[in-house]
Amino acid sequence: MALDRKYIGKAYGPFLYQVGLEKMREFAFAVSGGIPSAGFAVPPEGLDPLLFDQQAGNQSTYGSVIAFPTFPVVFAIRPFVAAVTDPDLGINLLMLVHGEQEFELFEVVRPGDEITSTGAIADIYEKAGKDFLVVSTASKNQRGQRVVDGAWTAVIRR
Amino acid sequence: MPQTRKYQVGDRFTLVRECDKYRPIYYAAASGDFNPIHIDSEVGAAAGLGGAILHGLCTMAWAVESAVKYLGNPGKVTKMKVRFSRPVAIGDVLTFDGTVTKIAEGKLTAEISAKNQNGEEVLKGAVVEARTH
Repeated sequence: MALDRKYIGKAYGPFLYQVGLEKMREFAFAVSGGIPSAGFAVPPEGLDPLLFDQQAGNQSTYGSVIAFPTFPVVFAIRPFVAAVTDPDLGINLLMLVHGEQEFELFEVVRPGDEITSTGAIADIYEKAGKDFLVVSTASKNQRGQRVVDGAWTAVIRR
Repeated sequence: MPQTRKYQVGDRFTLVRECDKYRPIYYAAASGDFNPIHIDSEVGAAAGLGGAILHGLCTMAWAVESAVKYLGNPGKVTKMKVRFSRPVAIGDVLTFDGTVTKIAEGKLTAEISAKNQNGEEVLKGAVVEARTH
């Protein structure tokens, strides 16, 4: 059954996320071939100190450790998840794969940031016997600065 | 921290990453995405994926990481875009090859190819944009 295009425009959120230093480090470790743990891991070789070392962060132009560029998936995914698990849409998650992803970053993410994310269904279409669902998201920090815009495309196999 | 690195159109960079047995579990823990198709091979197989598959967003993160290592500063990235063209399985070894295709108005564009050990593309149209200073 094809997804109903009447849901285009349906909005999700706002969702609040409190950014923590250890979570930022764990994300950078996991991406860079390490283990996401403070107790069982050391920084993977070659990882930029800006992503985990407070002294390096404090001395940088950013004034603190900053998050890996794709760390915003941790919070920006929330409206997307809300859409794909929306009972009105009735999507079978086992048939869902991630089709496309786009992020535009406006501001680095720092420990202590309070990020508010909202989203809306931007498009629903059918191609090659599959359903495509596009969710756009926008995330702002506690100062009202735009942090990241996302465009998430899910492909639902039948 | 090389804030003043010179970038040129035609610059190339490469990163190799293996999807080791536990990588999808580690990435699930770091990202919060515990969809069972990524951490349970039986569920992945039942979903017709041949087993557990890596999160597409982890593959994207590696493409971005390849650019970050070239840029010398993770805070410079301003945009990233990918299409996930093929699932990444446990044991796959991915090679990310980036080329700087444009530098204008303080921004750099790099196009990145991502292939598995069989030469098959796992990403299409992968692009990272970044500030040059």
